[in-house]
Amino acid sequence: MAFRRQIVRATLQNANGNNFAQLARAGGRCLSSASPSSSAAPADSPPQLPPFDHRPKPYKGPSAEEVLQKRKTYLGPSLFYYYQKPLNIVEGKMQYLFDESGKRYLDAFAGIVTVSAGHCHPEILKAIVEQSELLQHATTIYLHHAIADFAEGLAEKMPGNLKVVYFVNSGSEANELAMMMARLYTGNLEMISLRNAYHGGSSNTIGLTALNTWKYPIPQGEIHHVMNPDPYRGIFGSDAAGYAKDVEDHIAYGTSGRVAGFISETIQGVGGAVELAPGYLKMVYDTVRKAGGVCIADEVQTGFGRTGSHYWGFETQGVIPDIVTMAKGIGNGLPLGAVVTTPEIASVMSQKIQFNTFGGNPVCSAGGLAVLRVLDKEKRQQHCAEVGSHLIGRLGDLKEKYDIIGDVRGRGLMVGIELVTDRKEKTPAKAETAVLFEQLRDLVFTVSESRRTVLTV
Amino acid sequence: MQRFVARSGLLEGGRRRAQSLLRSQQQQQKQTRYFAQAAREKEIANDVLPKMPPFDYSPAPYTGPSVDEILAKRRQFLSPSMFYLYKKPVNIVEGRMQYLFDEGGRRYLDGFGGIATVNCGHCHPDVVDAIVSQVKRIQHPTILYLNHAVADFAEALASKMPGNLKVAFFTNSGTEANELAMMMARLYTGCQDMISVRNSYHGNAAGTMGATGQRSWKFSVVQSGIHHVLNPDPYRGPFGSDGEKYAKDVQDIVDFATTGHVAGFISEAIQGVGGIVEAAPGYLPAVYKNVRKAGGLCIADEVQSGFARTGNMWGFEAHGVVPDIVTMAKGIGNGMPLGAVVTTPEIAEVLTRRSYFNTFGGNPVSTAAGLAVLKVIDKDNLRENASTVGAYMKDRLTALKEKYEIIGDVRGRGLMIGVELVSDRQKKTPANAETLHVLDQMKEMGVLIGKGGFYGNVFRITPPLCFTKEDADFLVDVMDYNMSKL
Repeated sequence: MAFRRQIVRATLQNANGNNFAQLARAGGRCLSSASPSSSAAPADSPPQLPPFDHRPKPYKGPSAEEVLQKRKTYLGPSLFYYYQKPLNIVEGKMQYLFDESGKRYLDAFAGIVTVSAGHCHPEILKAIVEQSELLQHATTIYLHHAIADFAEGLAEKMPGNLKVVYFVNSGSEANELAMMMARLYTGNLEMISLRNAYHGGSSNTIGLTALNTWKYPIPQGEIHHVMNPDPYRGIFGSDAAGYAKDVEDHIAYGTSGRVAGFISETIQGVGGAVELAPGYLKMVYDTVRKAGGVCIADEVQTGFGRTGSHYWGFETQGVIPDIVTMAKGIGNGLPLGAVVTTPEIASVMSQKIQFNTFGGNPVCSAGGLAVLRVLDKEKRQQHCAEVGSHLIGRLGDLKEKYDIIGDVRGRGLMVGIELVTDRKEKTPAKAETAVLFEQLRDLVFTVSESRRTVLTV
Repeated sequence: MQRFVARSGLLEGGRRRAQSLLRSQQQQQKQTRYFAQAAREKEIANDVLPKMPPFDYSPAPYTGPSVDEILAKRRQFLSPSMFYLYKKPVNIVEGRMQYLFDEGGRRYLDGFGGIATVNCGHCHPDVVDAIVSQVKRIQHPTILYLNHAVADFAEALASKMPGNLKVAFFTNSGTEANELAMMMARLYTGCQDMISVRNSYHGNAAGTMGATGQRSWKFSVVQSGIHHVLNPDPYRGPFGSDGEKYAKDVQDIVDFATTGHVAGFISEAIQGVGGIVEAAPGYLPAVYKNVRKAGGLCIADEVQSGFARTGNMWGFEAHGVVPDIVTMAKGIGNGMPLGAVVTTPEIAEVLTRRSYFNTFGGNPVSTAAGLAVLKVIDKDNLRENASTVGAYMKDRLTALKEKYEIIGDVRGRGLMIGVELVSDRQKKTPANAETLHVLDQMKEMGVLIGKGGFYGNVFRITPPLCFTKEDADFLVDVMDYNMSKL
């Protein structure tokens, strides 16, 4: 992050300010979904946010400088933040965030693909507040209906025999549990994950994660990172067969021939909104199962209708996994994660005690169930499909216009725009992305933490 | 205990005879239980049985699913290894301070605190206020943007720490906190070997499952680089309360099982899951010295003993040590999914080598709750209360030990108390069946406590810290009553 800020500073001093400002303005108008589409030259005045009838409460707390100072002192040097002048976000409502002065921002990042229903959605708030006033926490050693109702609600959304639910508190915890289940169920050790994947930061999941920025030098054994079926940068383009063969090869030459399992995201989030080449999962699931392994779908970012066309990302590839992990959007921001699997796989876990103190607590379960209901009632999946395709369409137009946009990809409301200085070489446009990112501070965007330079929406 | 005699006398030939004897004994016991229940009700009416302290609060009427419906859904949709306490599980639907209410509005004294988690008291108004006002403003922007809640909480937490412990990382659970602490120790020292104590519990992810020292919690997966040392257990350990003797085992491991340099040592000041076992006096200072000589860091797992539970703010304080890393969860948020790692700026620096990020960690709602908890601990004088009421309850339980042979040990500090049941005081044979039975009977009479220990024969008493002397009396009297019926 510090390195990125250096690039921005240098570039802002040297760059032709006009170019980038124009690009920013065009990008801004384009991404506000309510504005009329137009491929005319960008206007001279910056685009306006769509109107929104909500007044944030006056803020009387510490200023941005005070907060930043405390963070530096008490939260450690490794905790990074966005922007040269970081945003002090004090309030949220649906798709908007408000800073200390009451200024409104369009939140195109949703707390890292987490706030699925909208900030402070009234129905979800109601569920959380009511339950917090009744009972926050007793653990599952006693009965409570909230966890049971939520588990039922989740299971109903699952295909096949996926109907046993484990509740945890985060995506990392969910993937840790899934990995352990795979190893116990199969009796094998080797796990396979994709290069450019992100699955968590704890001891086992850090091994599955395949982006060097996120990997600390600690033992992370028995993991094989296979070729990423990346249609834009991958060596086989969108031809899944080539990539799927790599999985076969890893198993044949790098393992005993038997594996514990394979895990992947359907659209890599941290890796830059990279959607797997079509048909990839079908082939790989087949290969992995033949080698005795189980297939884990990491739906931490793609789940709950975000992809528009389907409720779960894996459905876009026409497969049914053996284990599904989820977090982020599951609770609209509540610290909650889950693992759903089949009764057969779940049964191996009963060999010992597996317990999670906070997992499935009444407040998070009530919040989670409210999220499921809101997403259905307000037809959010369909909305993602509609607005998403409109967005991708407009961004596609922008790509025609600006050489620097190398790729526009994604599905529903999980979209990536990759900037390159050379369309042939696909040289990452690091500096330009950093500058654009800052310029777009009025719309809240992010840059992915990969070698690439992708703005993700 | 005729049932146990009958079962142990089974032979091939007399099997059928023994079985019918068993059946008639069971029928007899059922009848006895029925009469006992009736007699008990009469006794309550006649003022003979202990009475729960009064509490001016009426729970809301419950109109949700019944026990049977919930059980059916749990069986169908939740993990098959998910267990519950009691023969007839309790459906807890509401909580207020140190009391819980079931679906019928019946009040229970919560002697377990959601497993040493609800320190301020269920739905403590100050904590609920903080949660509700924050959740209505913003639940989750991530800490990629600024927000004062996490900064204020980190500052307040640091002010409760000794030495140079002042940098905080926020996670969502104790497991996540311990995972992070272990990784930091390994990165900081460049060594892989970690030392943990037998009978400990540190979490259920790969690294922390390795550190955990009890087989019931360890699945058959790779858990490398951990060495488990002798437990400085004053009751069951070979050296009694001589802490320094146990510390020698740590030195041995360093000398013979590692390169001579280790990443670190992790322990709980009082083992929670392990049955409220407090480290023998003198152990931690000796071990910390040995570990630091071997270049390792000392991690204090305060997940259960932290936040005033032992009468001090932190469990390690009673042992006169200052750790290098402190992990916490459970009581930190009065039940909010929250965990934390606090360490020195030098150690915190290791994470800058790459990126570590926790999406939910440090969110405004959890940290607002955390800050409210710290304030309540001071405002409601919880340290003092835990110390006073805890000492009082421990005294009463020790008196109970004089009365009943089956109580092998009474131990703990503040409101983290353990009562170990044995069928033979010399051999210390665990009395599991009796433990389960009394636990169940106490629930019938309105007292909820926990169970733990490697053999499952220890009562764990870890109530909300607003527990009163009257509550303690009721708990001990109910235990007394049920032990007298054994």
